[in-house]
Amino acid sequence: MAFTNTMASVAKIPGAIASESCTLPRLQASLTLDFARAGFAGHTVLTASHQEPPLQVVRAFAVQDGAALAHLHNVSGGLLGGDHLSLKVSVGAGARVQLTTTGATRIYRPRREALPTTQSNEFAVSEGALLEYVPDAIIPFAGARFSQATTIRLAQGAGLFWWEILAPGREARGEVFDYDCVEMKTDIGALGQPIASERLRIEPRKCSTQSFGRLGPYRTCATFCIARVGLGTAEWLALEHELREQALPLTEHGETLWAISTLPAHGLMVRCVAVHGRHVLPGLQTLWQTAKRRLYGRDAVPPRKVN
Amino acid sequence: MERDSANDALALTSDLADLRLLHLADSALPIGALAHSFGLESLTACEMLTTRDLPDFLQTYLQEAGMMEAVFCREAFRLATTAASENVWVPRWLELNNLWSARKPARESRAGSASLGGNFLQVVLNLADLPLARAALDASKRSASLVHHSTAFGLACSLLGFAEDRVVLVYLHQSVASLVSSCQRLLPLGQSEAARILWNLKPATIAAANRSAACALDDACCFMPLLDWGAMEHPALSTRLFIS
Repeated sequence: MAFTNTMASVAKIPGAIASESCTLPRLQASLTLDFARAGFAGHTVLTASHQEPPLQVVRAFAVQDGAALAHLHNVSGGLLGGDHLSLKVSVGAGARVQLTTTGATRIYRPRREALPTTQSNEFAVSEGALLEYVPDAIIPFAGARFSQATTIRLAQGAGLFWWEILAPGREARGEVFDYDCVEMKTDIGALGQPIASERLRIEPRKCSTQSFGRLGPYRTCATFCIARVGLGTAEWLALEHELREQALPLTEHGETLWAISTLPAHGLMVRCVAVHGRHVLPGLQTLWQTAKRRLYGRDAVPPRKVN
Repeated sequence: MERDSANDALALTSDLADLRLLHLADSALPIGALAHSFGLESLTACEMLTTRDLPDFLQTYLQEAGMMEAVFCREAFRLATTAASENVWVPRWLELNNLWSARKPARESRAGSASLGGNFLQVVLNLADLPLARAALDASKRSASLVHHSTAFGLACSLLGFAEDRVVLVYLHQSVASLVSSCQRLLPLGQSEAARILWNLKPATIAAANRSAACALDDACCFMPLLDWGAMEHPALSTRLFIS
C-alpha cells in the first residue's frame, strides 16, 4: 500500500476526470494475478499474485470444469475519494479463469477536496485461454467521482465473457443519479486490433440521463462482451440471432431492454438497460449460459457466493 | 471526364470552397444517405421516440454521438494535412477507421457508416484528382477495413483545401439534417416542423463542433445506450423502411 500526495497517479489514466489540486493523501494499491494451466491435469492454478490492501484475493478455487475461480475483495468495503486502484490479470495459454467480486463495487462520496477515484484494469488472455469476468454492479454514491480504464488483450483462440453493470446509485434510499461523474474507458483488442472500444462520461447534474437518447426512463445499464478469437463472421451472426431469441422473453418495454450485435471481428456485444437493476444479472447469466454452450460446448458455472 | 487537380484545389477561392463544401454535404449527393436511420427506426417503431421528444433527442445526439463523429472527422482532416509518405500515412488511416469501427457496437450502424464513407470517397474521386484519397480507399479495400463517413468526409475535404472548422460544422449539420429527414418518414413530422427543429439545433451543432476542436480521440465520449439499443435491434424489426 502506498500513499502519495501527487497528481502523478491520475495521469496514468488518460483523460481522467480533472480535479483541482489537493493535499489529501491518496491511496494507491494494486492487485496482480497470474494464472496458468497446470500440467497433465489441465486445471488452472494461480501461479503468482501481488496484493496490496485493500485489494485482496484469498485463494483461487477449482471450478468443476477445471477453471480457477477467484473472488476479488476490497477489504475497505468500497472505493474512497482519491483511491487509485489497479488490477492486472494474466491468463496463461490454455488456462481458464473466472473472476468475480464479493459484492457490489461501492464508490463512496468523496471529500470535496479529494481527487477522483480511479481504477485501472488490465487483462491479458493468452492463446487458447478463457477469461470470464462476471462482477457485481458498480454503485456510485451521491457526489462520487469515478474514472475507470479497462484494457483487455486477446491472443489467438482466446475467449472472453466480460460484463459490467452500472447502477444509478443507492436506489433503495432514493439516491438515484446523484453522483458527480462516472467515466469509463474500455478497450478490447484481439491480435493487436481493436474490436470494442467504449468511452462514456455520465454527469447527471450537467446532462440529464432521462433524455431519450441516453437512458430515458431506464436507470441501470450493462454491457456484456463475448469473444473468441478466430471464429468467423457467420458463426457470430448465428450466435447473435440465437441470443436475440433468448433475450426476447427477458425484454419488457418500459422495464428492461436487451440488444445484441456482432462486433467488427471475433465477438459480439450485449447491451441492457433496465428500470430495476434486479433484472439485469439473471438476464446476463442466461445469455452467458447460452453463449458458453455454443462457443465452448459446456455450461457456464455462475460463481458461488451469497447474493 | 474533367476533374480538378489537387493543386487547383489548394488555390480555391472562398466562394468556390463554400459551394463545393455545400455540394459534398448535400443530401442529394448520391451516396445513399437516405437509406439509413442509425437506430431511429427501432426507437420510433416501439414509440420510445415521438415527435414531441425529437428536439431533446437530437440535442443529446449532438452532445454525444455527434461530438464523437466530429472528433473522428477532425482527426481524418488533420491526418491529411500532416501526410508524410504513403507508407506512414496509410497505416494511420486504417488504424483510425478500425478504431472508429470498434467504437460502433451496432453492426448495422457500423455497416451503414462504412457504406456512406466508401460511396462518398468514390464520388469525390470522380469529381477531383486526389491521389491520397485514392490511396486511402485502395488500402482500405485491400485490408478489408471499413471507411467511415465522417473520416472520409474529413479526409476528402482536407485534401480539397477547405477550412477544418467549417468542414466539421457542415458535416455535423448534414448528419443531423439526415436524421431529421429520417424522422419525417418515421414520425408524424411535417416539413415546417422539421425545418423549425433543424433551425433550432444550429447553436447545439456549433457547440458540438467547437468542443470537438480540443478533444482527443481517446477522450471523446458517447453515452447513448437507447440509441445503441435501437441500432443493435434494428435487424429484428419485422418491417423496415431503412437498411440500418
